[in-house]
Amino acid sequence: MPEPVISMQGITKRFPGVVALDDVSLDVLSGELHAICGENGAGKSTLMKILSGVYQPDAGSMSLSGNPVRFANTRQAEQAGVAIIHQELALVDDLPVLANVFLGRERRNRFGLLDEQSMARETANLLETLECGVSPRMRTGSLRVGDQQLIEIAKALSLDARILVMDEPTSALTESESARLERVIASLLARGTTILYISHKMEEVFRLANRITVLRDGHTVRTLTTDDTSPREITSLMVGREIDDASALPARSPAEPLLEVESLHLPWPGHVRGYRLDNVSLTLRRGEVLGVAGLMGAGRTELLETIFGASDPSWRGRISLHGRSVRFSHPAEACAAGIAMVTEDRKRLGLFPDFDVAANVSLSALDKARRGGLISRRAEEALVAEPIRATGVKTPGPHAAITGLSGGNQQKCIIGRWLLTQPEVLLLDDPTRGIDVGAKAELYALIDRLCRDGLGVILTSSELPELLTLSDRVIVLAEGRLTAEFSRSEASEQRIMEAATAG
Amino acid sequence: MSDNHSSGRRWPAWSSEWTLLIAVVVAVVATAAIDSNHSYLYRPLESLRDIARNTALLGIFALGAAVVIIAGGIDLSLGSMIAFSGMVCGTTMLALAPEEMMAAKPVGSWVVAAGISMSLLAGLAVGTLHAWLVTSIRLPPFIATLATLVGLRSLARALCESTTAALTPSKSAQIYVSDPFFKMLRDNVWISVVVFAVLALATWVLLTRTILGRHVHALGGNEEAARLAGIRTENVKWFAYCFSAMAAALAGIFYVANESVAAPVNQGRGHELNAIAAAVVGGCSLAGGVGTVPGTVLGTVFLRVVIDAVSKVIKTGADVYEGLIVGVVVVIAVTFGQLGQRAGSRQLLPGPLGLAAIPVLAVFCGGTVAMTSGTMAGVGAGIVAVALLGGLRAWESRSAAAG
Amino acid sequence: MMSRFAHLKSVAWLAVVSLGVATAGCGPQDASPEAGGESGSTKRFIFLTNGDDPFWDACNAGLQEGGTQADLASKGLTVVMEKNNGTAQGQIEKLRQFGSQPDIAGVAISVIQADNTAIADEMRNLASKGVHVITVDGDVNRDTLRDARPYYIGTDNVVAGQVLGRAASVLLAERGLESGGYVQFAGFTDNDNARARMNGFQEAVGESFEQVDRMSDAMDLSKARDNVRASLVNHPDLVALVGIWAYNAPAIAEVVDERGAREQTTVVTFDAQAAAIEHMANGRIDAMVVQNPFDMGVKSVQLLLAMYEEDQAAIDAMFPNFGEDDGDILTTGLRIIIPEEGSPLESDTFDPSPAERMTLPAFREWLATYGLTSS
Repeated sequence: MPEPVISMQGITKRFPGVVALDDVSLDVLSGELHAICGENGAGKSTLMKILSGVYQPDAGSMSLSGNPVRFANTRQAEQAGVAIIHQELALVDDLPVLANVFLGRERRNRFGLLDEQSMARETANLLETLECGVSPRMRTGSLRVGDQQLIEIAKALSLDARILVMDEPTSALTESESARLERVIASLLARGTTILYISHKMEEVFRLANRITVLRDGHTVRTLTTDDTSPREITSLMVGREIDDASALPARSPAEPLLEVESLHLPWPGHVRGYRLDNVSLTLRRGEVLGVAGLMGAGRTELLETIFGASDPSWRGRISLHGRSVRFSHPAEACAAGIAMVTEDRKRLGLFPDFDVAANVSLSALDKARRGGLISRRAEEALVAEPIRATGVKTPGPHAAITGLSGGNQQKCIIGRWLLTQPEVLLLDDPTRGIDVGAKAELYALIDRLCRDGLGVILTSSELPELLTLSDRVIVLAEGRLTAEFSRSEASEQRIMEAATAG
Repeated sequence: MSDNHSSGRRWPAWSSEWTLLIAVVVAVVATAAIDSNHSYLYRPLESLRDIARNTALLGIFALGAAVVIIAGGIDLSLGSMIAFSGMVCGTTMLALAPEEMMAAKPVGSWVVAAGISMSLLAGLAVGTLHAWLVTSIRLPPFIATLATLVGLRSLARALCESTTAALTPSKSAQIYVSDPFFKMLRDNVWISVVVFAVLALATWVLLTRTILGRHVHALGGNEEAARLAGIRTENVKWFAYCFSAMAAALAGIFYVANESVAAPVNQGRGHELNAIAAAVVGGCSLAGGVGTVPGTVLGTVFLRVVIDAVSKVIKTGADVYEGLIVGVVVVIAVTFGQLGQRAGSRQLLPGPLGLAAIPVLAVFCGGTVAMTSGTMAGVGAGIVAVALLGGLRAWESRSAAAG
Repeated sequence: MMSRFAHLKSVAWLAVVSLGVATAGCGPQDASPEAGGESGSTKRFIFLTNGDDPFWDACNAGLQEGGTQADLASKGLTVVMEKNNGTAQGQIEKLRQFGSQPDIAGVAISVIQADNTAIADEMRNLASKGVHVITVDGDVNRDTLRDARPYYIGTDNVVAGQVLGRAASVLLAERGLESGGYVQFAGFTDNDNARARMNGFQEAVGESFEQVDRMSDAMDLSKARDNVRASLVNHPDLVALVGIWAYNAPAIAEVVDERGAREQTTVVTFDAQAAAIEHMANGRIDAMVVQNPFDMGVKSVQLLLAMYEEDQAAIDAMFPNFGEDDGDILTTGLRIIIPEEGSPLESDTFDPSPAERMTLPAFREWLATYGLTSS
């Protein structure tokens, strides 16, 4: 085996509360297109960011063409010939294209002023090789995403990067732009550039990649040669845990339909695809947990937000509660109708950092704490005591600062807040994100109890085993479309992952 | 963590409100001692009256400023709203009783009531306008209220000129108000103090004990989360901006009484900054969600005490220095108020910027002292400043290195 | 823990600031750093202006001269000038401040708004505390608020206006004009002295000339200029521009020059700021009626001292007709300044009295003797 151009050995990276990478090793051969595959949270992006200097590993070593390297920042990585094109493009919208290409490395003329001429010339040359018809002086923000991506590549090329990392590059591209990108990639490979390619689109991976490395839960699972494997095997390696004993909880028996969504279409103005959700239908029964699976950007949060009345009101389709058609223009209306939503990002969208625990929990049901027109402290404490107990929040007292609680307890507070509104439908958007195992188990038990008490729950999660443990049925979204629906017995991680990566 | 608990709970002893109270006492005592006339000792009632009057006048619309700030917005137009409201009152009374107004005779209680009601309605209208601009047009509150800052005063002047041109022999830039009701307001300071106290109490109850008040805090603390928690944020904003404008309108009535004239050219000019300063010194955070009524009241008292202290100590030409000293005091009060809230150590003089700040502050300090007390004193003050600041920086870097 | 320390620091810093203010206060302007209350320390006479204008510098020179002449220092008195910020509220606040300070013996005030009852009330409050209050240059409304002060020193502004009006009619006749429009410019059109001058001017210039407008600028210098520009644009056939307050003169002269309108407009003004003197020397102003703020200053000190010492004889000497109509008014001198040569006002067709006629160079000499640059 020839000397790998990149060799990463024993890389470990920790973030507060989670180990992103645990003793990961990766070898990449010169001039190959090496795909990195894995679920959300497997560690792909983290690994690539370490390679390109964005992060520094806590343990492990890296070498390029046999020379040990350690990048303290992206500048050093760029100087060594490694460039990364992030999934979220890192361009300055208000600057012209040539400025972005040379950002941080502007050419100067002999007077010390910017040498726009030579930068423009070189930019034009690069863009031509990339089949990009854009003028170097155009404002970057006015370009299509496909062109912006090529600008990023041009930037990397102008750095003479020998190693290019591309993170989900085609997620926002049209067919023709994707095809153009593939041609560009082919020409880069022909010139001897090594490309690391993160993607979950099996079709693409199998068309382009020479070898594939699968990561799972921060570990390297295996590296395979593309010709020797199949999409099915890759997806199976991506999820291949021991499936937890999902039958730990006795089966529930869901009753009559509570909420129905028919042919929901949520437009996405300005985006290539044109919609966030297209033709999505589902039925939620009382006492049932409906799991929604899908990769990031598939539309899970948007689906929940639309049901809750918190998204763009221009959606089409039909949502009905108890058979009656509803259209909520504000979460207050949904709340009054008996729908509650616990949001995805509790810090940004759920918590009030200046309030104490009691104020955070009582917020949506304050009218129940009123005595004689004013909020009574004692009534409030009595009001929140029940949800705090029911959800199992561990707190020094109802007047402790909410910021002093752990993530899991904060999440319970928010669930408690919504329980006080006595909902019939509870929407949970990735409720166990960033929560430790013990707290997760408590939340699972809570959700089960709520369902037995007669609520209907729609639950999204990035963790497939969790989804399988909790859900009575699972629907799968991929790129805004409903691609599969499984009952508990039919569902498996494998099948869900296949449906989530289809299209 | 945060001492400024929005639910109105008082932490014992060391909250920033107690600090403010102590600061007020210190300032009064210091002034009484340093003032070579010892005016506070020999003429305490006059000074008390003046400070009380000015505190009440400022406090009425500082409460409005505080509510908007707690709700996460800002209202820059308060000073102009005062002028506008005074003008609305004046023109209403002029329109209803032109002969009496021009002859400086009493106009009758109904006319006065009409004038005051129209002013408050004007406040309601302006508040609604602000809320509409902020929620439906999505203007940043800074821009929306900046526009009314300039626009309202101009509108008030136009209103004044056109009304006086129509109803009086010549157009005029102000309308004199000499009805006995307003004279009574002017002469009896306790009336404005009582009004302020009642408003403060009502605002305090509203903010700490009503659902609307809780929603105001929630809106300011995390607007998106508030919306997703089912709070009608547009309505809460509507309330906040109307409250603020109406408080300024009420203050406008008192301003007119105090000056016996509705003079839109300069009335209340720049006073919105005093109100915001009072709210911020009293613990409101401009990021929203944090602030209390007791804090705002104390902030107002503190600000007026400092301004009066400046007049007592620098007897002649005090207003030259007033702005400077108030500015410095506000910066110091807020800096140290914040220090108590933010967890973790934050250095005051870090890095090259901190190093550059030392000579700037020293020159500033020395220059000011030189202007008032002579060059030698100024140079001395500058050297002392460099020594103190340099020592602070050295201490900070040592702690940072050790920690 | 952090917060505890920080709050102690906060109080400490406030103490430092107070000390800082103290050092600021114990500057040379405080004549007597001793402790003391009502007795034994220096008392002050305060002259409160209506705003900030070089006119008041001349007055201040007079105050100090008057103070020296009367040897105030030996009597434990000083005289200081406080400049107001150009608003009524400012004067009200300052009067209240004076009321709460025990070391004030007398206040002379140039009232900014004659009809403002709040100002008059504060003046009465001061008087009731034993502080002697007089008005100088700007009086209260003499019909309704006269009781707020016992005496007034200043220019008879109606007469001053009349003098300028007569001068204007002579100048216009010289240009062959029998009728036309004019605009008057002042800081506030309802300020007592402004109003009096404008009314006097209007009366004396004659009914054949029409007063098109009275424009106010609230002592904002750039607004003063804009007003002149606006009047030239809105009334293209104006024959004269009248500047009522001191800073209106250079404003008018400069804008007229800027617009090249000197040929069509006669420019007559009040007071003589240094800039205005220059403009007249360069031929941009046709006549200036000048008050004597220096004299106002001197007389103010004399009167306040006489009131303080209860020297009735001295008061009677200044106000011989006290008790009769307008016997509480002391008129200070007026002059009308004309360019050195070629002015139609030099001839005897123009009777300047009761003002004294003076040519510009002579006036400059007079200023120099007192070290003034303006009046």
